[in-house]
Amino acid sequence: MLDTFEILTTSGVVLWSRSYAPVSSNIINSLIRDVFIEERIQPQSGDAGQKPTYRKETYTLKWTTAKDLGLIFVAVYQSLVHLTWIDKLLDNVRALFVGLYGEQLKKEHTSKLDCSNFAPYFERQIQDLEGSSDSATSNVKLTPPSSTDNDSADEKSLKPPALRKQQHQLYDTSADSTPVPTPETSRPTTPAQHHLITGKGRPGAKLSRRDRKKASAASTQPSSGDETSAKRKAKGSAKKNRVWGEFGAEEEDSSVVLDYSQSDIRDEGSATEALEEIKQETWGRKTGKGEFVLKDIDEEMDQIIAAENAKKQSSTASGGIVGSSLGAIGGLFRNVVGGKTLTKEDLAKPLKGMEDHLLKKNVAREAVVRLCESVERDLVGLKTNSFTTIDSTLRTSMEKALTKILTPTSSLDLLREIQTVNATGRPYVISIVGVNGVGKSTNLSKIAFFLLQNHHRVLVAAADTFRSGAVEQLGVHVRNLKELSKREGGEVDLFEKGYGKDAANIAADAVAHASKNGFNVVLIDTAGRRHNDQRLMSSLTKFGKLAKPDKILMVAEALVGTDSVAQARNFNASFGPGRGLDGFVISKCDTVGDMIGTIVSMVHATGVPVVFLGVGQHYADLRGLNVSSVCRLLMS
Amino acid sequence: MAWHDQDSWLTAAFAPKLSTIVVTLLLTLLLPILLHHFIYRRATPTTLPTFLLLGPSGAGKTALLTLAERNQVAATRTSTSPLAVEALLPEGFTPASSHYRSPGDPTFERSRCFLLVDTPGHGKLRHFATAQLADLSNVRGIVFVVDAAAVAEEAGLNEAAGYLHDVLLTLQKRYTGAKTSKGPKEIPVLVAANKEDLFTALPQHLARLELEKAISRIRKSKATGLKDSGVAMGGEEDAMEDEREWLGEGGEGPFEFQQMEEVGTSVTVLGGNVLGSEGSDVKGWFEWIAEHL
Repeated sequence: MLDTFEILTTSGVVLWSRSYAPVSSNIINSLIRDVFIEERIQPQSGDAGQKPTYRKETYTLKWTTAKDLGLIFVAVYQSLVHLTWIDKLLDNVRALFVGLYGEQLKKEHTSKLDCSNFAPYFERQIQDLEGSSDSATSNVKLTPPSSTDNDSADEKSLKPPALRKQQHQLYDTSADSTPVPTPETSRPTTPAQHHLITGKGRPGAKLSRRDRKKASAASTQPSSGDETSAKRKAKGSAKKNRVWGEFGAEEEDSSVVLDYSQSDIRDEGSATEALEEIKQETWGRKTGKGEFVLKDIDEEMDQIIAAENAKKQSSTASGGIVGSSLGAIGGLFRNVVGGKTLTKEDLAKPLKGMEDHLLKKNVAREAVVRLCESVERDLVGLKTNSFTTIDSTLRTSMEKALTKILTPTSSLDLLREIQTVNATGRPYVISIVGVNGVGKSTNLSKIAFFLLQNHHRVLVAAADTFRSGAVEQLGVHVRNLKELSKREGGEVDLFEKGYGKDAANIAADAVAHASKNGFNVVLIDTAGRRHNDQRLMSSLTKFGKLAKPDKILMVAEALVGTDSVAQARNFNASFGPGRGLDGFVISKCDTVGDMIGTIVSMVHATGVPVVFLGVGQHYADLRGLNVSSVCRLLMS
Repeated sequence: MAWHDQDSWLTAAFAPKLSTIVVTLLLTLLLPILLHHFIYRRATPTTLPTFLLLGPSGAGKTALLTLAERNQVAATRTSTSPLAVEALLPEGFTPASSHYRSPGDPTFERSRCFLLVDTPGHGKLRHFATAQLADLSNVRGIVFVVDAAAVAEEAGLNEAAGYLHDVLLTLQKRYTGAKTSKGPKEIPVLVAANKEDLFTALPQHLARLELEKAISRIRKSKATGLKDSGVAMGGEEDAMEDEREWLGEGGEGPFEFQQMEEVGTSVTVLGGNVLGSEGSDVKGWFEWIAEHL
């Protein structure tokens, strides 16, 4: 069963919501954070028909958006329940809501939206779809599994409810004077009909008009006399005159419509026909029985949905020959002047160019595709500003996407973190991992130098017990650093146990040694390992458990190409569940010029921020990441 | 046909003809009316005084915005885009600018209108706020909303203080980097300690102290921290990077919000709560807004 359905704006205001069971607001907040902001969870783009899902705690969330109006529609339900009709519901509700309130939503400088009368529409949708899914199973039994001839199956399955309906109508006429049961009893009949229409497992886009006609025809057949069918005809003609652009007027009616069934009955009781007659032309269809009115909401709803779908189709597929040629000229003009509504086709070519540009900057293909997709999602359906071309719009959007992907979620102030941890009385442990030869030891000594300048007492632990000369190399670094930091006031020492021992144990010993001797920070150097070698990578899990590092930094060189994504992923996953990398150090940035795409690839693969950049050979050549300058370099 | 001919248009224009008189009359009568309309049409969309809502995610910015707009709080979720809303100062608050205006004055109503601009507080979406801070021409004040309960904990305090530090630093840079000797308009900052109804929330004076302490820590670690990559990687602002950005007055002393007054930014810390079992308590904040409206 559906737990909650919410319609909210991107600016965070909930416009309309209906909850059947209490759901904590942080469920939806985390959806927004993880999916919309951090894009940590990629919506599966495999099957086009399916909406993406997001799981949090025991809930499953499905959502859809109306980009131009800045709306998000979210449905929340228990993961245990398998609801097949949520996609349809989301689509229908979006079409309905946009159709009903689209004009109001375009108003500026307000967050108010009076959509209190949306509830009946929603309830009807739920009932229809729930009904259809309930009977979907029985429907399958009825129809031969291989039958493509829907109509014959329709006829068959339509019969029983039609009969039921007749009975109900009889009942209704008898119980007309009692207002209470009428709406209640008539309710199950209508969805029962509808499930046969919607629940046939057809692709959602092309249902509606024909089906609806069929349904209404079926429903009128049993209903007794000529007068009703005549009424239906009158109704049909009234329908055609309607202008569906003016939804404002419609929605005012709709609230009346609901009450109308009851007030109607009351009116019949008191027999006041004067008012009725005046409204006969416009409201003729509503003077019938209670269920006529109810069906009206259905039809109105279907019509709105159909209109929205048609609008969407017409916007994607351009008109005739004249229209297209005129459109082409206009498009060219608008391309220069601006004010053009962007479509996928418009963006395809400039996006390709942007893709090539980024690939040249050494960004991994996967990351480029993701960035371009996010830009496309951002731009399709958007109108370009006046006097901006598509290219410049694309550029700003790409810059925004890059900034978003590179900006860390939380503060990266290492010094402050060290202070906080030291306040609890234990040393701050940083361990450095990475592939062979990327500069782990060099960057470790750079970080040590930085910490020494801030008057920390640093212990360097040589946990690379594999490569010959690794311990000695660290010894040289420590000796240099001792010399350099003598005047500054910092203190540094080396912790080593020679070669061949288990790295995890040495690291644990080093931490114990540091806390005994009053060191603030422990820097652990590890052996380089190939990221796709399971045997070597598996020892990292033990290492993470024993040394309990506060921060695990991975060193990657800016020279690496497409492999960067795999490296980052494998290292991120190697520490066991619940522990990943905390940051990247990108080394050798000075050797690549402006081709610093590796930074983007690494962050893309894991969502872990870049903490340091190595920009030279000296101890002081360590920098923090400046997002805007990196973006500028990448876009240049 | 030259201009001095008998039936040239110039002669006709000066001749005592009926058509000439009618045209002249129409012109003299209609021109002022048209001018009036033109000028007043232009004058009506005056820019409203703006108040900027900043603060970390989950502090209650959007909730405060809805409260200001409709006098009741709507349910809110994490924002991903900015929102500007026209709000009216609630009854009982008189804007400082119309202190001597009688309540019957039609302009009184208009003077109570202001624009409230909400920005997303999530770390990755701060660029919206930065863009707003870059152009402060209409901004009368900045409301920095913090969660007083989150400030009681280390992580929340660090996030809020880090953001506040950046905002104040931007304001300070704006003041010190001004070209004219007069200096730019003062922009006051209200630190609205939200969610005071919660049991774990820090009272406003404690929140102030904690924030000040945290900002001094940040200031110090920023000064001793690493340089940005901008310099080394061919950025052009080498000169700008050279001078360390130091918030408040120099020296080793602790940071206090009072130091910001020197650079045209007064910082006030006021507690309140948008939501709560006994309704919302935002009187202090609206008073502050009224004072600067």
